[in-house]
Amino acid sequence: MECVVQGIIETQHVEALEILLQGLCGVQRERLMIHEICLKSGPHLGTVASEVRLLCDLEQSEPSWTVRHIGGAMRGAGADQVSVLVRSMVESKTSKNALRLFYALGYKLDHELLKVGFSFNFYRGAQITVTVASINKMLKLHATDEAVPVTPGIQLVEVTAPATSETYTEVASAMSSFCEYLAPLLHLSKPGVSTGVVPTAAAAAASLMSDGGGTTL
Amino acid sequence: MPVRSVLYWKPNQGNVMTNEEVMSKISECIETLHGVEDQECHCHACVTFYTPILRDERASFADLPQDFVGVLMMEQLNKQFFVMQSRWIVVEADSLILPLIEKLSSYKPKSYITLNGTLYKMGDFQIRLFKVLPDQGNLKGIIAEIEYLPISSIEQSKKIMEEMVDTLNELASKKSLEGHFVQAKANYAKYGLDDDYTSQHTAVQYAATSLTELIQSALRSHDN
Repeated sequence: MECVVQGIIETQHVEALEILLQGLCGVQRERLMIHEICLKSGPHLGTVASEVRLLCDLEQSEPSWTVRHIGGAMRGAGADQVSVLVRSMVESKTSKNALRLFYALGYKLDHELLKVGFSFNFYRGAQITVTVASINKMLKLHATDEAVPVTPGIQLVEVTAPATSETYTEVASAMSSFCEYLAPLLHLSKPGVSTGVVPTAAAAAASLMSDGGGTTL
Repeated sequence: MPVRSVLYWKPNQGNVMTNEEVMSKISECIETLHGVEDQECHCHACVTFYTPILRDERASFADLPQDFVGVLMMEQLNKQFFVMQSRWIVVEADSLILPLIEKLSSYKPKSYITLNGTLYKMGDFQIRLFKVLPDQGNLKGIIAEIEYLPISSIEQSKKIMEEMVDTLNELASKKSLEGHFVQAKANYAKYGLDDDYTSQHTAVQYAATSLTELIQSALRSHDN
């Protein structure tokens, strides 16, 4: 299970966001280049249609693979009371043949993306990961060298934290508290809730860039 | 890691010995080679046979694999291996792959084979002798796993492994056992595995051996 919020930011303000995150997290950023391959089950396979994502980390010297399943969002009063999306999520590290295996099992390619950017992973009431990345599509099958941005000039910011059915309210609270610090630059909300860029982003970014994040926003 | 060779016991047509009797005689063969049982080590592995779940009863299994197998080894309980012989695929994953597969609801376990065994230490060799137990029923077969500790190169260890297999079979014959050990056939190159031995090589052999055991066992049941 994980808690997640998302938002968008203009590419011109990403550097300022990085400065802010560096100051808040106290850890080094990690570069990110993930080839995400989204597969869907064939027409008759499974009790219901299923989707699985294969993530290839291209930033490593030897590409490493993760298989991820994202389930449905939590519903009910508990879910409505938190400002983050709570959903089931299971992932497993695998060796390199996972894609061939899932194709052989009857899964088909739905779409693929290349995410390029950086992430911060830190503890602040919960184990939080902030990912800032441009989302790129490939013009040819699996051609990560020929990827182009899906939305030029805009990058996706995602904040996630692992949770359980017992801890999700604390995790959601920790995430929400953290996200308030980012409010001048971007608005983060549950995936699927469209927010757009924030009007204060330009001024906040300018402030951060002028003194490297020393100013309190 | 050291090279391992997985063998299954193939009884001759007309063999009247029970698997328990054969197991006992093979243990004696290993002890003849100065193999010492490691009382504290219990070897265990599980091979699970998966079947696709179809949404529509009228749909056909034809395009979907019937040899999707999961292998779990006691020495690496945090790992799960998957093998599909028809497509020459082996995948190693961490144990969270199992709840992930369950959540997908596209494949489910159909049956499984448990391997329970004993470890014998013999100098540069180790032999694990396994009882093959299906999910329902009694001891159905015997598997032996020979491990040669000094070498991790499959090619370099090939000759000495073959000699050990021949030695075991000769001893079995002298004990009037009606059958012999057969090495699991595994074309590692086709699986994309190289000469340096790994757990994936073991998983491939277990899958090959287990499927052969199942087929043999089914044939023997049919004959009986």
